Amino acid sequence: MKDDLTVMMLSWEFPPRVIGGISPHVFFLSKSLAKQGVKVYVVTCDFPDAPAHEVIDGVEVYRIDSYKNPSPDFATWVYLMNLNMQKETAALTRKIGNKIDLLHCHDWLVANAGIGLKHVFRKPLLVTMHSTEIGRRDGLHNDTEKMIHETEAWLTYEAWKVVCCSDYMISHVKWAFGLPNDKLVMVPNGVNTSIYNTAPEDLKDFRNKFALPEEKIVLFVGRLVYEKGIHILINAVPKVLEKVNAKFIIVGSGYMKEQLLNIVRSMNLEHKVLFEGFLDEQTLLKLQQCADVSVVPSLFEPFGIVALEAMAAKSPVVASDTGGLSEIIQHDVTGVKVYPNNPDSLAWGISKVLLDDSYRHRIGENAYKKVLEIYDWEKIAQQTRRIYEGVLGEYSNSFWA
Amino acid sequence: MRVIIFSWEYPPRVVGKLAEYVKALSTQLVGNGVEVNVVTYDDSTTGTAKESTGVQTIRVSNPVRTHIGVLTWVLTLNQEVERAAANLYYQTKKQIDLMDVFDWHFISAAVTLKNGLGIPFVYSVESLEDHRSQGLSTPYNMAIKSIEWLGFYEAEKISVKSEWMRDEIVRIYKVPQEKIVVVSAGSNSWIKEILDLYSIVSGVLKAR
Repeated sequence: MKDDLTVMMLSWEFPPRVIGGISPHVFFLSKSLAKQGVKVYVVTCDFPDAPAHEVIDGVEVYRIDSYKNPSPDFATWVYLMNLNMQKETAALTRKIGNKIDLLHCHDWLVANAGIGLKHVFRKPLLVTMHSTEIGRRDGLHNDTEKMIHETEAWLTYEAWKVVCCSDYMISHVKWAFGLPNDKLVMVPNGVNTSIYNTAPEDLKDFRNKFALPEEKIVLFVGRLVYEKGIHILINAVPKVLEKVNAKFIIVGSGYMKEQLLNIVRSMNLEHKVLFEGFLDEQTLLKLQQCADVSVVPSLFEPFGIVALEAMAAKSPVVASDTGGLSEIIQHDVTGVKVYPNNPDSLAWGISKVLLDDSYRHRIGENAYKKVLEIYDWEKIAQQTRRIYEGVLGEYSNSFWA
Repeated sequence: MRVIIFSWEYPPRVVGKLAEYVKALSTQLVGNGVEVNVVTYDDSTTGTAKESTGVQTIRVSNPVRTHIGVLTWVLTLNQEVERAAANLYYQTKKQIDLMDVFDWHFISAAVTLKNGLGIPFVYSVESLEDHRSQGLSTPYNMAIKSIEWLGFYEAEKISVKSEWMRDEIVRIYKVPQEKIVVVSAGSNSWIKEILDLYSIVSGVLKAR
């Protein structure tokens, strides 16, 4: 075992900058790796009022000046930001005497920087593919989507190992980019159970801010975009209300928001569906603990961290039987699986959970146990460290070493 | 002395005037005992080639085929430029004295190689986005101007072919005038001026 293993980790988001699931993933992964004795540098985009350099539980975090001029479009911004990230990471690596063993990228958003640095310093590159363009868009429909897809293919081609967080994602990535089996490795995503620690009696007043005592709380957390299936949930709302009195709380934002609001208005259900936008972390954590059911109606879901968070908060999960969600949830044991893209099936699942108190309790407890058993960050960091050591073993026999 | 020249055009790929100029310059440099490696773009042939002039060319192609504009095309091509330059660096046991970068296209590679490996570079300006776009400042033009600005900031020296261009760079980008060297391209003293410039810049490396 190498006792001074050092990894340079690149991610376009890291707290307090939170856009999607990569930010919390890199946050917990890097901290847990540090606990396993790995020296981790995280290079990420800057954020208002966040320091350019700080040390968080042993993790060296550097926030670079991301490209801030108006950009022609999002994809071009990504490549412009990568220019800065690559330059700053190169300077940092030189400053610490080239003492890095590996580069670890998260998604295509840092592909250019990771690939360039790999060749400049001749260090092995790993990538975690959290998602793919072809999966997000359900196909490649224009040049931007093709370009991103080809960038992802290039990144997986250059990577020594490609990490995915579910078996579903392994087979998807293998198909999408034609990768050999021995390049792919599965490490599940993790979740932190200790943050859901508000005492039940303290949640009462909090709950009253969102719902009447006689209303059950149905919670959705996620970006309001097509792939998350939020429109399926909205269509299921009247079907659920026929059977049980409930309040639907929607946390998150996205391009579908206006459209969804219009549907809710046209159904005269504005008093039953609350759009909360983004919430601060403490409020969200409490809300997840209060939720009588957490709904994950995704159409495409490489992993499904929201389902795992709900499980950690002991909130029963109703999820569509797709992607990583299919693996996380065991039907009738740790949650309820419903047909994807089917409002009737979703309404059935939600009603089933809300109408049966003992069932609800049972799957909530089972799910919590499962989380502790498999999706624990310490175990995930140990697995990741073993992957790093395996790659370094192979690398040491290469002419780059 | 060993130099890597970056240019997005080099014969037989000729887009504007730059290709022939870079070819003449590298040939002359080789004649003066400089080892010249030209890293350039080629969409049909790749690999290293030693030309009859003694200039080594490395033609890289874009790893991403589909693009939505010149910017994304250029920015992904840069990693291949870095790969080619880094290979030279390691193959020559890290003995690269400097890079000479023509126009904005490969500034990204140059600044990363400078910051990561400590190789200084000259930024040779053939034209400026402000002139090409006739003062337009759409996000697209701004991005190219910001890359040019980064080049001016990170370069050890800037080389131009006229006093007019020097003054324009000072005016538009607020670059200190003493950072800019005017070379009399094509004249008898041309190569001597370039060699003097190269030794000043590579001297920076030795001083580090």
